[in-house]
This record gives sequence, structure tokens and C-alpha cells, in this order.
Amino acid sequence: MLPETSLRGTLLAATVALGLSATGAFAQQEPCIGNSVAVTGPAAFSGQAIKLGAEIAIDEINAAGGVLGKKLKLIQYDDAGAPPRGVDNTRRIALADKCIAVLGGFHSTVALAQVDPIHEIGIPYMGVWAANTKAIENGRDPNFMFRISAKDKWVARFLVDEALKVSKSGKIAFFYENTGWGNGALPDIKAALAAKGKELAAAETFNWNDQDMTPQVIRARDSGADVAIVWSLDREANQILRSMDKSSWKPTIIGAWGISGNLGELAGPLANGVRVMQTYSFQTEQSATGKKVLAAIEAKTGIKDPKDIKAASGIADAYDAVYLLADAIKIAGAYDWKKVQAALYEVSRDGLVAPYKPAFDKKDPERQDALLPQYYLLTVWHDGKLIPFKGSPYDK
Amino acid sequence: MSTVVQYILSGLAIGGIYALVALGFHIMWSSAKAVNFAHGDTLMIGGLLAVYFLAAGLPLALACLLAILVGGLFGVVLERIAVRPFLGQHGSVGWMLTTIAIGIMVESVATIQTQGYALPLPSPGIASSIQILGAGVYPQELAIPVVALIAMFGLRLLQHHTLIGRAMRAVAHNGAAASLMGINVFRVVAFSFALAGLLGAAAGVLVAPVVQASSTMGVLPGLKGFAVAIIGGITSAPGVVVAGLAYGVMEKFVEGYISSAAREIVGFSVMILTLLVFPQGLFGKREVMKV
Repeated sequence: MLPETSLRGTLLAATVALGLSATGAFAQQEPCIGNSVAVTGPAAFSGQAIKLGAEIAIDEINAAGGVLGKKLKLIQYDDAGAPPRGVDNTRRIALADKCIAVLGGFHSTVALAQVDPIHEIGIPYMGVWAANTKAIENGRDPNFMFRISAKDKWVARFLVDEALKVSKSGKIAFFYENTGWGNGALPDIKAALAAKGKELAAAETFNWNDQDMTPQVIRARDSGADVAIVWSLDREANQILRSMDKSSWKPTIIGAWGISGNLGELAGPLANGVRVMQTYSFQTEQSATGKKVLAAIEAKTGIKDPKDIKAASGIADAYDAVYLLADAIKIAGAYDWKKVQAALYEVSRDGLVAPYKPAFDKKDPERQDALLPQYYLLTVWHDGKLIPFKGSPYDK
Repeated sequence: MSTVVQYILSGLAIGGIYALVALGFHIMWSSAKAVNFAHGDTLMIGGLLAVYFLAAGLPLALACLLAILVGGLFGVVLERIAVRPFLGQHGSVGWMLTTIAIGIMVESVATIQTQGYALPLPSPGIASSIQILGAGVYPQELAIPVVALIAMFGLRLLQHHTLIGRAMRAVAHNGAAASLMGINVFRVVAFSFALAGLLGAAAGVLVAPVVQASSTMGVLPGLKGFAVAIIGGITSAPGVVVAGLAYGVMEKFVEGYISSAAREIVGFSVMILTLLVFPQGLFGKREVMKV
């Protein structure tokens, strides 16, 4: 027993020593942003989009001289959609790379798992995709979690408003995936409907990779609903559409942005008319910033037609996120986590996606989110492409 | 009434996939007393390659055929490098780990290739749904259980009327004795894995138009196909096919009358109960192990 105990003692001492030396290094962080996103797994496309948007912003910032005289760097990590890896990446970004901030990815389950280590360490986190309400509205003070992306609570209100606009019977069905993201949305949708004095006619759930949704669709159809709100990813939404086709039910479909990837390609003509909430589209009239970003996307990926850009929201949100962080570092005057966290509340800028004036509000816990719902965008699938709803063939 | 018909038809489509996968497990187990736990990924190989061959300009039928052949080749290669090295050693279960490991590797490569997107495989079978007694179904879905039944009867013909089929049965009965009778056991085992691979990839090609080809499309069918093979009795081909179809239909009824969240709970509970009552599976023969 004795050797083991002494070994443990040595290890403990070493850990403490390491911890102390690490604390000593906390004062000054490096000019890098750690990108912990899903580059593999079912949402691998999201990691690519975030990386693209962040790199374009960093290239521009560095071309203009960097931040506080130093060039920014992006350090890429893969969370593969797995919460433990997101936690591990957070620690590496903060303690090994000593980056100034963490960019967060697609999966809400990962973002929720990151809340603890982010606050334990005290490093600013900027979410650019995962929309879970509680990941950002987490009740911490000071709160190190910020976001430029949709927020489920606001998305639910947005979708319910749109649904009630088109519904004749006032009966709404809700399809949601059995994940942290989907289950988190159910109370948000119910609350948004309750605010309008309505109830869900049907609430149906399903799992990833489910191959057929006819039982759920039949129940929703028989509830008399004429609008279906869909909270899922492309693959499962395709199964919902096909099951609706088989069950001869054609409700108006309005989806959260999980179905903005390649649903048009998967479901073909069945996807025509499916509405999707987005934060950004490169197919509307572009601002000067938008044109600049489009040119950069073409230079980096070879994509010429804005219609061919997948996951536009992810690219645009990541682009703005990097700029907000760069502004905060400039205001803070130092690469210092605490100072940057405080400075984020003072940032004010016209972004690619929306104006952020101010970006965040320290007094309002709801305003750890920079992107307000009036800037959400309704788009629609048409012949395999996602186009702005306004002016589309479905806009009557 | 139409709802019940709908659940039965949708269930048979899903069950047909489980049956085809389970049939592959049956074939491998019979000859080698080992299986390829990456068998689910054979579906993915079939489905994804068909999409890629089609995109490369091959006609649909040829693309599907080639994809199925590659599935068979995958079975042979996997048997050679991940299963055979362990079969000689008595009681070795190394093949469990190696086949699972290869499955994960193949899946990772597919994820990198597809970036996680599901890809559509066009087929005339999903152009429009047809109505049967008020229930809607794609012709493609109806074809799946039919193919499973054809595969089952085809396997029976092969085992009873061809030399290689009889050799497979001999090896299944007693490998050592078969070897003494001049049967090349290794070749028979390799053939079995190839056959299972062909069936698996064919299942992938069949189901891809309905569920889309993606890197993870084979995970659940692989797992459930194995469960079904165990429930049905892995030594009986008709047993695993019947169990597969029944399991698919049962799932739809659970989804329809309880909830989709309850599906796996009820499904796997039934599996455990079945095994407690019938340790060899519903239609399996008792395996005598000589020590």
C-alpha cells in the first residue's frame, strides 16, 4: 500500500504545483480564438461553416493590422457533437492554448456542458449556432456565455407567429427531435402558443435516424392541424415530409433552422414551400460588408452563386462573432479574459447579420444574446434551394 | 383500419431491412461461429457508394450493382484481416473488437467524405406513393420485405442444391470434420462473409432512396439486425427473417399506440424476455459445444 500512497502524494503535489504555475500565467492570454465545433459527426457541415466565417473575419482583421498590434489566430478543435469533448476542448483552449475566447458550435448539448468549465475558468464564450435558451440564460453572474445566433425561446415565438398567420383552423402540430435541442424547444413552443391563448393540437417526437414517421404524422393529421412546426434536422425532416406524402396530408410546414442544410436535395419537390427560420441569407440585397464576405467565400471555397452557399447563418454569425470579440479586446485594452468579458457589454457595431447597438446588455439577462428576433429571417425551400420567403412564389 | 394497415406496411418495410441484416449475421455465424459487427456499415457502404457511382456518371442500375459488389468485397477483406486471424485460437473473441473497430473506421471515413450530410439516392420506387386500403406506401418500401423473403428462399436453394451450399452446411455442422472431408473451410468462410456483405450492401441500396444514404445509416439497422438474429435464433434463416419482419411491425404499433420514445424500451424488453424463455432464440437449434 505504501508505495501507492506516496505515488498519489507525489501526483497530488505535482497537480497543485501545476495549478499554481497555471494561475500565474492567467494574467495574460494569447491573441487566439479557440474554435470548439463539430467538424465530424452528423453536423460536420456546421463546423466547416463556422470555421469559414471566423477565418474570413480574422483575415480581414489581420490585414488591417490585427488587434492591439497582434495578429489574431484561430485554433480549431472538434467536439464531434459530444459534450465531454466540448468540455475537454474548452479546458485546452483556455489552459493550454491560453486563447482569449471560445467560439461555440452547433450542438446545444455541448453548449450546455460547457457552461460549467467556462465559468470555472472564467473565459468568455461566444456561441454562434447552438440556440438552446438555458445555455446562455444560465443564471450566472458574471455570465461568461454570450451568443450571436438564434435563441430557441425567441425562435419559438417567431415560428408560432408565422404559423398562426397561415393557419385557418388555428390548430398547430409540433414535431420535435428527441434530443436536448428538441426537448428544450417543447416548453418554449407551448409558452409562445399560450401567450396567444392557444394550445398545441399535437406534439410528436422522433429519434435521429428514424426511418419512418407515419405513426406520428397520422396522429398529427387526425388532430385537425393545418400547420406543422418542425424542430428537426434535414434527414429526419425528409422522413416527416415523406410520411406526410404517404398519409396524404399537406399542412403548411414551418421549421426551425435545423432544416436549412440540404432538405431540398433530400426531399426533392416535397420540400417546396417548406419555410425555415434563418438568421442570414446571402441571397437578399447585400450590404457592402455582405459583398466583401461573398467575395471572400468565393476566394476560399470557389462557390460563385450565393444560392449554393450552405449554412449561411453559421458563416455569417461566426463572422460577426469574431468582430465583436475583436472590438471587446480593443475596448479592454488587453488580452485578459475578465476585462474582455466586461468590455463585451460596451461593444456597439453594425454587423453583417444585424446592427448590434449595443451588442449585449449587462442589466438584462435576456440580452446575453446579440441577435434580436426582429432580425430573424423567414426563408423557404424552392427547387432544392433555400430562398428568402419575401418575394418567393409562396409569398401570397 | 387504414391506420392499422399503415403500421403493418411501414413496419414490414423497416422489418425487411432488419431481416436482410439478420440474414447476413445468420450466414456468417453458421460458417464461422463469428460475425462481422461492422455488418451494419455494409449497408452504409452500399448506399453511399451507389450515390457516389451515380454522381460519377454511371447509370443507376450499374451504380447499384457495383456498390453491392464492393459490399461483398468488403466482407471478404474484413474476414481475412479481422476475423480469420482469431478463429484458430480457441475461445478468442478478438474478432469482436477488430470488426467493431473497422466499422468505426469506415464510418469515420464516410463522415469525412459526406461532412455529415445525408445524400439522396434517386429511385423510380419513391417517385410517388401508392395507396393500399387507405394506407400510403412507396413501392420501394414494399420491395424490401419481398427481397428479404427472396433472399431467404434463395439461400435455402443454395444450401441444398449447390456444392458450395452443401459445403457451407457441412462447415456449419462441424468445421473440423468438414476439413477432414477435404472441404477448404477458409474458402467456405470467406464465401459466407462475401455473401453476407452482398446482402448487406443490397439492403443499403434498397433502403437508401427511402432513408437517404449517410455515414450513420447502418448503425441502428446493424444493431437491431443483430438483436433480431438473436431473437429469431441465429442458426435458422427463416427464423431470423420472420423475427425481423415481426420486429419491424411491432415497432410501428408501439410508436403508433404508445409513443416513439417507448419504441426501444418495449422492443428491447421483448428481446430480453424472449431470450429468457427461449435461450436459443425463437427458432434456433440448441448448439452442442464439445469440450
